[in-house]
Amino acid sequence: MKLIVTRPEHDVTTRYISAWAGEVITFAQQRGVEVVDLIRNKASRRELEGRIKKLFPKLVFLNGHGSADSVAGHDNEVLIKAEENHDLLEGKIVYALSCDSGKKLGQAVAEKKRAAYIGYADEFIFVADRNFLSKPLEDPNARPFMEASNQVMISILKRHDARESSTRSKNIFESHRRRLLSSQADPDSLQAAQFLWWNMRNQVCLGNVSDKI
Amino acid sequence: MKDENKQNVLSDEEVRKLVLARLSVLSSDSIISLGSEGSFSRDELVELVEKRDAIGEKLAEIQMEWLRSFKSVQAA
Repeated sequence: MKLIVTRPEHDVTTRYISAWAGEVITFAQQRGVEVVDLIRNKASRRELEGRIKKLFPKLVFLNGHGSADSVAGHDNEVLIKAEENHDLLEGKIVYALSCDSGKKLGQAVAEKKRAAYIGYADEFIFVADRNFLSKPLEDPNARPFMEASNQVMISILKRHDARESSTRSKNIFESHRRRLLSSQADPDSLQAAQFLWWNMRNQVCLGNVSDKI
Repeated sequence: MKDENKQNVLSDEEVRKLVLARLSVLSSDSIISLGSEGSFSRDELVELVEKRDAIGEKLAEIQMEWLRSFKSVQAA
């Protein structure tokens, strides 16, 4: 079993999601999955296309900025774009931690007979604390968002199908949302709860949703 | 009936005020990552909402949808 992960690191957002994607990589390796980690300038279109064609990974985990029809890599180079190279994702289970790509790219991938695509149909928003910018894994503000997001990949790696993995992720978003709303709700918790709800609401699971490893 | 409906709808300005009220009480250490739009401090977001920038409008949209979600739960 092979997993390709893209991890650009060129701004605050990508540094955070890259650091937290590291938790998924560790989990996958512990379960004997061969991980190809395209980090920083390796998160390029050339590298990704080459590795997918050569290795035929079943799982693709894309981290980076996105638009309705694309997901980007390091320095915002477009890695996968609908109607350009989305055919590369045929037969795979894809999770894109990226804004908006569930709108068009996800739909285009889902039209492929054997592909499942989990992503977001609008902005993925998270809260961080400026005191933890150099140590994202210790940031208590970011943790609920990243734990909920990572649950998609953790569940897939535990051999749940794509739909169940998305549901489990949404359940984590919801449990954190409820906890933050009920914890003597300080203003930061209330705002975080709203953004957790937003991400949960916009997470989509498309295509061959019963596919699993 | 018309008057009741009117009373239940928030104007854009009222939603903007709600967003500003929420943002202005956040910790000054908070950073909000709005995907490809970038990452912003509390004060930067307050300024963007006051300027009616696209990011401010997005936050207003989220606020409105959030309020609607409570209404739909109550109605269910």
